[in-house]
Amino acid sequence: MGAFVLQIPEHKLRVVAPDVGGGFGSKIHPYAEDAILVWASKKIRRPIKWTADRSESFMSDAHGRDHVSTAELALDADGKFLALKVDTTANMGAYLSTFAPCVPTYLYALLLAGVYTTPVVYCEVKAVFTHTVPVDAYRGAGRPEATYLVERIVDEAARLTGIDRAEIRRRNFIPRDAFPYQTPVVVEYDSGDYQSTLEIALKEADYDGFEARRKASADEGKLRGIGISTYIEACGIAPSAVVGSVGARAGLYESAAVRVNPTGSVSVFTGSHSHGQGHETTFAQLVSEQLGVPFDQIEIVHGDTNRIPFGMGTYGSRSLAVGGSALVKAMDKVIEKGKKIAAHIMEAAVEDIEFKDGSFTVAGTDKSMALAEISGAAYVPHNYPITELEPGLEEQAFYDPLNFTFPGGCHICEVEIDRDTGVVDIASFVAVDDVGRVINPMIVEGQVQGGIAQGIGQALYESCVYDADGQLLTGSYNDYNMPKADLIPNMRVQTHNTLCTHNPLGVKGVGEVGAIGSPPAVMNAVLDALGPLGIHHMDMPATPQKVWAAINGASMPQAAE
Amino acid sequence: MYAFEYIRAKSVDEALKALARADDGLLLAGGHTLIPTLKQRLASPTHVIDIGGLKELKGISVNGGTVSVGAGTPHGQVANSAEVKKAIPALADLAGHIGDPQVRNRGTIGGSIANNDPAADYPAAVVGLGATVHTNKREIAGDDFFTDMFETALGEGEIVTKVTFPQPKKAAYMKFPNPASRYAIVGVMVADTADGVRVAVTGAGPGVFRVPEMEAALAKTWSPDAVAGIAVSADDLNADIHASAEYRAHLITVMAKRAVAKAG
Repeated sequence: MGAFVLQIPEHKLRVVAPDVGGGFGSKIHPYAEDAILVWASKKIRRPIKWTADRSESFMSDAHGRDHVSTAELALDADGKFLALKVDTTANMGAYLSTFAPCVPTYLYALLLAGVYTTPVVYCEVKAVFTHTVPVDAYRGAGRPEATYLVERIVDEAARLTGIDRAEIRRRNFIPRDAFPYQTPVVVEYDSGDYQSTLEIALKEADYDGFEARRKASADEGKLRGIGISTYIEACGIAPSAVVGSVGARAGLYESAAVRVNPTGSVSVFTGSHSHGQGHETTFAQLVSEQLGVPFDQIEIVHGDTNRIPFGMGTYGSRSLAVGGSALVKAMDKVIEKGKKIAAHIMEAAVEDIEFKDGSFTVAGTDKSMALAEISGAAYVPHNYPITELEPGLEEQAFYDPLNFTFPGGCHICEVEIDRDTGVVDIASFVAVDDVGRVINPMIVEGQVQGGIAQGIGQALYESCVYDADGQLLTGSYNDYNMPKADLIPNMRVQTHNTLCTHNPLGVKGVGEVGAIGSPPAVMNAVLDALGPLGIHHMDMPATPQKVWAAINGASMPQAAE
Repeated sequence: MYAFEYIRAKSVDEALKALARADDGLLLAGGHTLIPTLKQRLASPTHVIDIGGLKELKGISVNGGTVSVGAGTPHGQVANSAEVKKAIPALADLAGHIGDPQVRNRGTIGGSIANNDPAADYPAAVVGLGATVHTNKREIAGDDFFTDMFETALGEGEIVTKVTFPQPKKAAYMKFPNPASRYAIVGVMVADTADGVRVAVTGAGPGVFRVPEMEAALAKTWSPDAVAGIAVSADDLNADIHASAEYRAHLITVMAKRAVAKAG
């Protein structure tokens, strides 16, 4: 934007974004204010401070998830999926935001095979302009929409064929020994173990005991339902060549620079930005693990364009898979150079130098130098291979992934519905996710919990409503129902991981799995509870009024959601 | 927010004098309605007279079966008062479900009833418990206080000073909150009082109202089943994106039934 819109060359524009309280997609996009304020500041030659208030956010920050879709699934007599046909109309809003056309296309249609062996998938998407706020990427972006459609129609197929919902999934899973698996929709999955995640989740949710719980609820006049979602997502966005082939105009690599300071402490400069994801912790763990440097000797620098190398930022659950991989590559270079310095000082061949636990050792001897000694020598190069090697110990790497990563898993939700009021109460929520290698289990758990909270919000509470004149009715938290703490159940979250096969860390990404896997689990549970009343379809969110109206055959007030 | 003159009153008298002098003055108590209204430029008073700090308007006392709540008493104090909990648990319960802790620590009973938001909880307590509203000029029966949406019987230069609630034989409040704002979509106070049974509904209509059919049925038999079959007409009830008039009418019966069960 700086170079092309404002005509300010990159070296003259500095962006500092320190701790930001969450992003969730809506802060990726360039907004008109960004450009106008910079322009105005130059015009009047004074600094400008600008704060958007909540109402402005509601009325002009990009919204998410606005599809109208119809889907058809063909099955053979054994319940094997033969083909999926999808027709989607996607709202772009009044004008195009940054990723708007990408969300319902390559982040959506490419995921419609789900975790199944469906051999044929056809998808037609029409993107339409309307009078709403622009619609763009929001946690999950396209993949929640795809997952919702696939997992809802799989449940419908189970209901109509009479095959158990877990069993119909088992019959159609891509088997764990079939990877790499080329789907009929462009992408190749590298790894996964869908049946195991399902079985673990079924056991944790006591799927077999559900009918007894349904009966107990019925005895109290309540409706109980259970819903399964076995989802997949594509993240670690993205291989530049792949996204380029489907029309994206940006390269989507990431950068990292690693500076081993003269006394052996390490400064990392990353193009990934941390706005709540905990890069300072996870990236420091990577450094500590690979270079053997204690945590208090590691600094992670991000969010200041004057300090970091040119990067692409944090979105699409990519920081660890792409940014972390760049960091690993930069550290590899540091170790490689360190070995040359060590070989020179300890008078050994480079091939004989081993690096382990922060020390360079001559193989088979007790001759050893710590990283801090090597970095000291690199910055005070008195005894140094100066004709072959530059002084200093600082390396930079860019990493452009070979493929998306494909986290997946199984979410199972159980709900109880109050027939008198239509209120849906979540009785239990189980998640078993495959996020690849886990670097920090606590951060992974938090990411999954937060994502599920957002998914529950989407399924039961949140929606943007306009009146017939196009006025946004949900313009404040008085009407827009953000999930509050008392609406979010305790969740039982665990992982069952297979490693990503194409990045150096084996990580897949965890930022969006919760928001992608959970909405269909919740809605499948709601519709399982309402099924005995003959209700088999409901659009999100399943608000009390909507559920009550469905139960009582009452009409809903007319407003566009 | 438009510019206005801010006056911090040191007494009710001083507030009244300032109000009389102002071209277009407004009283500020807890500020939980007025401040957002000002911020959205939906009000443009010339003077804002702050009575939020007046000690003479604060406090709770229980005397001879009457609970007296000063107009400036925040909801949280009513909710947590051991005396109120003992004398009229339904009142403490109602106050404890207004808004969130921040609202309950700032918002006041006087501010709430003088504003008469149709979705506010307190009007259901004032009418449902047969309370009396005391002002600097007179006493107004709860039944006569709320006149229309955001309108009350308060006249020029009149300030609510306290509200007195007679202790009922039993009472309970049940609310179906707006899922987003937690205001009442439907709130029902049922009470068996010395002057008969009262059923007061807030949130559903343009203002708090009583349901005589339910009162008569409960006077005969105090049980949830007594009101279960009584439907309130959806005509004239509020409708918004969260609840149609039809849904609200239905919820009145459901909440009334549950309130009776809760009262025991």
